[in-house]
Amino acid sequence: MEKAVERQRVLLQHLRPSFTSSSLEDIECSISASICSAGDSASYHRSSVFGDDVVIVAAYRTAQCKSKRGGFKDTYPDDLLAPVLRALIEKTNVNPSEVGDIVVGTVLAPGAQRASECRMAAFYAGFPETVPVRTVNRQCSSGLQAVADVAAAIRAGFYDIGIGAGLESMTINPMAWEGSVNPRVKTMAQAQDCLLPMGITSENVAHRFGVTRQEQDQAAVESHRKAAAATASGKFKDEIIPVKTKIVDPKTGDEKEVTISVDDGIRPNALLADLGKLKPVFKKDGSTTAGNSSQVSDGAGAVLLMKRSVAMQKGLPILGVFRSFAAVGVDPAIMGVGPAVAIPAAVKSAGLELGDIDLFEINEAFASQYVYCRKKLELDPEKINVNGGAMAIGHPLGATGARCVATLLHEMKRRGRDCRFGVVSMCIGTGMGAAAVFERGDSCDDLCNARKAETQNFLSKDAR
Amino acid sequence: MPVFKTSFNGYSVKFSPFYENQLAVATAQNFGILGNGRLHVLQLGPVITERAAFDTAEGVYDLCWSESHDSLIVAAVADGSLKIYDLSLPPASNPIRSLHEHARECHGVDFNTVRKDSFLSASWDDTVKLWTVDRPASVKTFKEHAYCVYSAAWNPRHADVFASASGDCTTRIWDVREPGSTMILPAHEFEILACDWNKYDDCIIATASVDKSIKVWDVRNYRVPVAVLNGHGYAVRKVKFSPHRGSVIASCSYDMTMCLWDYMVEDALIGR
Repeated sequence: MEKAVERQRVLLQHLRPSFTSSSLEDIECSISASICSAGDSASYHRSSVFGDDVVIVAAYRTAQCKSKRGGFKDTYPDDLLAPVLRALIEKTNVNPSEVGDIVVGTVLAPGAQRASECRMAAFYAGFPETVPVRTVNRQCSSGLQAVADVAAAIRAGFYDIGIGAGLESMTINPMAWEGSVNPRVKTMAQAQDCLLPMGITSENVAHRFGVTRQEQDQAAVESHRKAAAATASGKFKDEIIPVKTKIVDPKTGDEKEVTISVDDGIRPNALLADLGKLKPVFKKDGSTTAGNSSQVSDGAGAVLLMKRSVAMQKGLPILGVFRSFAAVGVDPAIMGVGPAVAIPAAVKSAGLELGDIDLFEINEAFASQYVYCRKKLELDPEKINVNGGAMAIGHPLGATGARCVATLLHEMKRRGRDCRFGVVSMCIGTGMGAAAVFERGDSCDDLCNARKAETQNFLSKDAR
Repeated sequence: MPVFKTSFNGYSVKFSPFYENQLAVATAQNFGILGNGRLHVLQLGPVITERAAFDTAEGVYDLCWSESHDSLIVAAVADGSLKIYDLSLPPASNPIRSLHEHARECHGVDFNTVRKDSFLSASWDDTVKLWTVDRPASVKTFKEHAYCVYSAAWNPRHADVFASASGDCTTRIWDVREPGSTMILPAHEFEILACDWNKYDDCIIATASVDKSIKVWDVRNYRVPVAVLNGHGYAVRKVKFSPHRGSVIASCSYDMTMCLWDYMVEDALIGR
């Protein structure tokens, strides 16, 4: 500090003829350590020019359509994935042979078959045989896990450019258990809880933490309203890649060529009164209904990640920076509380505080768990799922993570300077939660939305 | 017009003497008072691309390109060190040398353009030091100034002669073969922040001062200045002679402007 005061004195001398001697004396001691307005979080001095940052240059998704009845009911899964993979390459002009790996999060389909379908989708999308493909399954957060895996591999130096994607066709692969259950499960409560239908875990959360039916239905109405508004104002046009496919008429059997570019599960005129009439599905006196649960849908999403230095070399605009990821375990019987544990963990490992986050995408698996997490973390409802969530848009399990990344980053881009950090999080069946922190691409230098740290009386770490 | 925005405040910018489209920029956080520094190497073109960037613990106040190797840059750093970077080496092996002799901030460096083997550093510890790229310690220290030395400039024709500008209100002319200065020029009433030699007349020198003026001197007759250039509203931070026309001078100042001057004509200020 003395050094800085001395330096300031020398430099102020240069302005001397325009000061009277008395005012100069006042100025000489005008520098003092003050509370750093950016707080003391590690992310403060990680500025834009760290070439080893993992950045996202493109994130797209298909529309999400109701399974069995929606726009993708007659579309093969590989035909869902291929268009978004191709869009990443076409919109960024990246040479597909430079991609080091394609990781696809996918949940319900048989593992080996889905892995083959993904490999085929890469070929349909125009990738050469030299680009490898693999799948990852962390249930509902598989899409986010795929993005995190690619970010980790880039950071580890395995490759410089990678794609994290998500794919689910719940039309073709409904949720089901194959074969018999090991009777040993009866000996351990936690293992047995892993077999609970997701709706029961939702009822457990609502019951244990006192989330009312009214609150849940209200959250669903809000979700539909926000998603409808976002669709109407064309916000999703930035992130949705139209998919050319066919629809078979169930009665006549006629095939029709269509282009699907709009989410078809959103009900703009959802009313609290109508939702209130729905019967609980999982428990007679329960509160979880078809209206306040996520929709069963088909969809895909993909995210192109690379080292910042590579993106700069190619002159690609940086959509976001991947800052941190955390997956945590919770009680399987109340798996919906996952985000309430995972979000603080991810935010902490990014060197931030919850208050630094400007935007959240929290998956609405069920209104009960969504409302619980929002209340538990004391989050501002204005910052969460500003364009609606899974209750309106749908929840194709493996694709949701990638969908949320695309929605979050495009919204952050629209919000500009006032939105620096964003979080994607979801709960995970069998009792887990995952969360990732993203930073808006071009926001690193201007500390415009920095809050005042009230407790600490030091300059930030990078000042000596 | 292509623009490259550095994340810290700019302190110095120099063209490469070897490649017309290569530029190095010295920057420091918080106007050099507190914080880190970064040296950028930029490639000019339809768009400006960054060839390399080197981080330092404290602000970079000045830099100079080597006249003998196209990839070497010397940086003057606020912690008193001089760092030599080799652009042909990977970032991990840079800087190739960190010379730590000055007790206070290094404010200026200049590479010898005649013999092309040595460079000078001017520091706030009141000294100027002479270095060669291949030696780990300074060759010689010139200690006569009574206050911070802000810049040192080699004579463009005589390999051993240089001038130094200091906050003690003098500019001194030195010959590296002599133990002391060969001439003391009490050029201004206030601190002198920069000096530069005329590239076409090896006896003409310009000095820039806190008194807002630039003075042009002939070292053969230094009692009166050849010209006094008034026009800046605050202290003049840097002054340079044009490499293309003998009488043209460029200067930049704390008044946020840079001026072009022709000291031979009556209305000397030819551009702002």
